[in-house]
Amino acid sequence: MHVIVATDGSRQSLAAAKHLKSFADPTKVTAISVVAVIRPLASVAFADDLSEGRLDGSFRDAAQSAVDAIAAVYDGWGPKVSKRIRSGSAANEIIKAAKQYDAGLVVVAAGGRGLSDSVLVGSTAQRVQHYAPCPVLVVRPAPRPRKRRS
Amino acid sequence: MADTATIPHQDEDDGELKRSITGRLLFFYTLGDVLGSGIYVLIGLVAAAVGGAFWIAFALGVAVAAITGAAYAELVTKYPQAAGASLYVNKAFGSRPLTFLITVSFLAASMAASGSLATGFASYFAELWSAPPALLVSLVFVAILVLVNYIGITESVVINMLMTFVEAAGLVIVMIIGIVYIAQGNADFGVLTQIDTGGDYSSPALAVLAGISFSFFAMTGFENTVNVAEETIEPYKAFPRSLVGGMLVAGLVYVLVSMAAALTVPTETLAGSDAALLEVVKAGILPFSTDLMAKAFSIIALVAITNTTLVTIVTQPRILYGMAREDVVPGVFAKIHPTRRSPWVGLLFSGVVVSLLLVIGTAVTASGGGIDLVGRLATVTVVLLLAIYALVIISCLKLGGHDEHEEIFRANRPLLLLGLVGNLAILGFTVYDDPHSLIWCAGLLAVGGVLFVAEQLFGSKGTGSQAPDLDDVKGV
Repeated sequence: MHVIVATDGSRQSLAAAKHLKSFADPTKVTAISVVAVIRPLASVAFADDLSEGRLDGSFRDAAQSAVDAIAAVYDGWGPKVSKRIRSGSAANEIIKAAKQYDAGLVVVAAGGRGLSDSVLVGSTAQRVQHYAPCPVLVVRPAPRPRKRRS
Repeated sequence: MADTATIPHQDEDDGELKRSITGRLLFFYTLGDVLGSGIYVLIGLVAAAVGGAFWIAFALGVAVAAITGAAYAELVTKYPQAAGASLYVNKAFGSRPLTFLITVSFLAASMAASGSLATGFASYFAELWSAPPALLVSLVFVAILVLVNYIGITESVVINMLMTFVEAAGLVIVMIIGIVYIAQGNADFGVLTQIDTGGDYSSPALAVLAGISFSFFAMTGFENTVNVAEETIEPYKAFPRSLVGGMLVAGLVYVLVSMAAALTVPTETLAGSDAALLEVVKAGILPFSTDLMAKAFSIIALVAITNTTLVTIVTQPRILYGMAREDVVPGVFAKIHPTRRSPWVGLLFSGVVVSLLLVIGTAVTASGGGIDLVGRLATVTVVLLLAIYALVIISCLKLGGHDEHEEIFRANRPLLLLGLVGNLAILGFTVYDDPHSLIWCAGLLAVGGVLFVAEQLFGSKGTGSQAPDLDDVKGV
């Protein structure tokens, strides 16, 4: 089974990646694609909270280091890991990637528990859940917020 | 299930280097950015300064801007990061204070532009529903754009393109009105050569220069296309074509629209109107209900202004984000909302500063300050941007021969020099004509200064996740 692990550079996406590893059977997973999507028209096209980021205005570098950080979770686990950076609307590109690689599972992180995520439309995780061609694992944050952010 | 062992270089397939901005999208992005930023808002001021021949001001202004666009195209193909002018100036001069000044100036210009556009939005909105006060409309407009940006639904490339089509449609309507008017045989082409020297400006050259200075706001916005440089397919081909091509198309549209407006509506009427292009529609030349036409046209103008304002409001938090990562402004501006992935502190801050500009501007106008808020904020934008444009051209000239590789567009050097002279001439005149605009510029730049001081006093080094020294960037 080809599994797609999506990252938006958030810590929650790292937690999602680890969550997959915590229960999935590496012999059943043939390949993992770590996918990051750059949003060209957004204020910050990609923000990387996962690595000691250097920013010289290159959002591609930020996406690359986030993808590297997620891929590192699966080092030595078994399945072949490929890193992919796409560009466009996050949900669309994740769904397209799932179709293109004939994925059997998509892993995404879901937002916090705040008001904005329940009221406002357009959450990436929601759209992926609705339109993905395969099962979706949505990893929600732990009930208690993490103390450290940086 | 794919046999991964047989595909050792899967990383290099279409997934790895997928970019999403094509040359055509870039063209529409440029056009949308440029077209909305001014002709709907400022044409009255330009007509007032020059007289019937005000199309000349648009033609000359766009020529200077297109040359500046060529300098941007060269630099962006050399350094495709999204940082724009600050990056180029840093590469050329390597001076941190200068880079900081340019970054803050760009931020200030962008904020003033948002203010001017929001005021223009309110003028056209009054045509649809005149009950709410203009200040309230513009404040709500800014608040909604900030919210929309926070949610992230501004990112649809398709919506961007649709808005650009609507924007262009409004101007096409004006052109059609002009053509119909000419076909009816009513047009007096003598108007197109009339330069008004009886007003504030005694010589034709000065009147035209004033017109260029007022109209130049309509040429700005193209610099924001560097935002998407990294995501552009074959940038060395796409940028020169789309950036310079987009500017030239915009210029042609401007000239035709100005001619249509000058032919169909008396210059005095244009000059006295807050929503001048609406006067053309209201002149009743097309056989439709003028009321209906005016409403439809107002909506088009609102879409046009919204499109451009969105891009300026996207740019501000991005600049603040970059500066926070460089540890020159407080680290909170590098804060990204954990799920929305938008720089919410920066967005909120931009919204507040733009709103303050609108409130202060309205208060000054109300207390008899005798200024036109749209014009004043547009002038502030133009002063700051002209200085930046001039410096970008100088950087382009200075960096010639550095970091060269095959996939770089090279702008014509004599043209660049001409563009530099043009930018400086317009800058000189604008400052001479309206020295008070410098106070506003200084006020906005002070915002950047305050943030810098705040970072020095309260910030801890490294809040921007160990951002590199700008000097490190030079080695890349």
